[in-house]
Amino acid sequence: MIAPVLVLCLGNEVLTDDRVGVVIADHLRQRWGNLDELEIAFAALAGFRLLELMRDRRRILIVDSICTCNGVPGEIHFFELGVLTPSKNLTTSHQISLPVAVELGKQLGMNICEQIDVLAIEAGDIETLSETLTPQVAAAVPAALKRIDDWIRTQLEVRKHVGKRRLANARP
Amino acid sequence: MKSVVIDPITRLEGHGKIHLFVEDDGTLANCYFQIPELRGFEKFCQGRPVEELARITTRICGVCPDAHHMASAKAADAVYGVTIPSAARKLRELMYNAFYAGDHTTHFFALGGPDFVCGPDAPKAERNILGVIAKVGVDAGKKVIAQRARGQRIIEIIGGKKVHPVTSVPGGLTKRISKAEQEEMIQIGREMVEFGQFTIQVLNDIVLANQAYVDLILSDTYAHRTYNMGLVDENNKVTFYDGRVRVTDPNGKEHALYEPKDYLDYVAEHVEPYSYLKYPFLKKVGWKGFVDGVDSGVYKASPLSRLNVSDGMATPLAQAEYERFYETLTGDRTGQTPVHSTLATHWARVVELMFACEATCQQAQDDELTSEEILNPPDGIVGEGVGIVEAPRGTLTHHYKTDQNGIVTEANLIVGTTNNNAPITMSIKKAAEGLITKGSEITDGVLNRIEMAFRAYDPCFGCATHTLPGGMPLELIIHDADTGEIVKTVNRNR
Repeated sequence: MIAPVLVLCLGNEVLTDDRVGVVIADHLRQRWGNLDELEIAFAALAGFRLLELMRDRRRILIVDSICTCNGVPGEIHFFELGVLTPSKNLTTSHQISLPVAVELGKQLGMNICEQIDVLAIEAGDIETLSETLTPQVAAAVPAALKRIDDWIRTQLEVRKHVGKRRLANARP
Repeated sequence: MKSVVIDPITRLEGHGKIHLFVEDDGTLANCYFQIPELRGFEKFCQGRPVEELARITTRICGVCPDAHHMASAKAADAVYGVTIPSAARKLRELMYNAFYAGDHTTHFFALGGPDFVCGPDAPKAERNILGVIAKVGVDAGKKVIAQRARGQRIIEIIGGKKVHPVTSVPGGLTKRISKAEQEEMIQIGREMVEFGQFTIQVLNDIVLANQAYVDLILSDTYAHRTYNMGLVDENNKVTFYDGRVRVTDPNGKEHALYEPKDYLDYVAEHVEPYSYLKYPFLKKVGWKGFVDGVDSGVYKASPLSRLNVSDGMATPLAQAEYERFYETLTGDRTGQTPVHSTLATHWARVVELMFACEATCQQAQDDELTSEEILNPPDGIVGEGVGIVEAPRGTLTHHYKTDQNGIVTEANLIVGTTNNNAPITMSIKKAAEGLITKGSEITDGVLNRIEMAFRAYDPCFGCATHTLPGGMPLELIIHDADTGEIVKTVNRNR
């Protein structure tokens, strides 16, 4: 059975701050354990390969590192995936970004939920091969976890109410 | 003189660039191509247990981690001097073919497709995967998505996880498959074969039926007479998972046929000061610069190369397409006359897609797949091993040396794109020379046709960093080469 709520952590475990996704995924698994309604996943993948993980969900939160123009390492951003609008003009397989993959999936009739939220942590170093976060990003993890916990609680609460309403409606 | 830079900007430093130096009268003076790579990964492997590398080296690439997993697993088998059980070998090969079926699908429809389905001169806003879907229909798009899901399901069954296979260890596999899982894979294989046939039909209807596209494929602008490299089986047929490396010269004559462990006797690497990425060449021919011909050690390792070095395909539908490919492009259906048109790589990829689908279907039916004999635990150590597979983008080599405890002391990786570094550079230069001529205007269509020269190789950029939004934008900058001043910037990302 596919869990309706997905927290999809992305990144690369061996590239310094790009590993923040797997660090957060490990924490979340310890906190939330196994629930039918919730899946916490980590993937070091890109493009189309993520689509299959995302289909048939009710709500999705992407957790990843990010580099913005004037970002401060450790800064936490929360936004909808739709605000990212990169190119659809591809030169290599490595250009198929997540927003393009999602848009394509929707156009092809895949059941991809309308709203996909993103929690992104500003990275300080995504080039050095290392299995240790920079201090600034490591320091941001507790705050990010709190934000994600709140998001999960909200989704599970909504789910509970929806379930009750369906149950009530089903009564004669 | 002006300098044109086609620049795939990322948030990474050291990203890929194409520099075109253009004279004042509009003629091309020179061309340089730089590809980013994940520098230092070989060093990073040192000090780790060799059996861990099948899971660590997958982090080199978020698009084709399966290829690194498999090359690494084979190298680790060799380090321990162990031959894996027959069932394990068959399962690994099945998983690998299923991966290929998905990966080639993406390239044909998402990357090659826009140039041929929408057309190289179509407006930029339409020349993308969504434009392809608009042209071939949503139902076709759904088939593409379904095909990818099929490949991933087989990877999940054999590899243990849908996203990152984890079951290959030195000596074989850690997970058996059930009869029910085999039945599911047989059904998937049948559906894959139907999809392969559908793809050939799309190729026929939209690309080959258009003489202008065929002329473009055969155009000298996109041709290079280099050596070719690829894995072949015992009958010299194309294979992806295992075999010997065959190299043929520009005339199709065999130059070398060697075991993976002997690769250093045949391949050396040239360095240019402007790029971190090395330029592999054939040792026995020698590096003569970025030039074609029998006397130049430059070689290609791509879907087209694999067809050129082979004597055919091991499955019937793929073999039929192989013969049609060569008959159309050379007039010789045996394939003994090599094809040197870079853009024919897209068609070669479709031939290979058909083979991957058929091979998946055939191999899924093997009774031995459900055997309990899938692991032959190592009882000694050799301390050195080479694993070679054909990654979709070219021959992939993992070479490890370890101490007596299996801890890596040295690693050497030659990834698919690295093989093609020199021919990609040559292809871009030749395309640019043909398209940027005296007095000509550098339009978006011209730039796209130059990009087509390297898009056919589907080069793997340094993609190990997956920070949002993912992907790899492209920017083109035109400089006055005498002053270095930027004349024009074309962002290929918008």
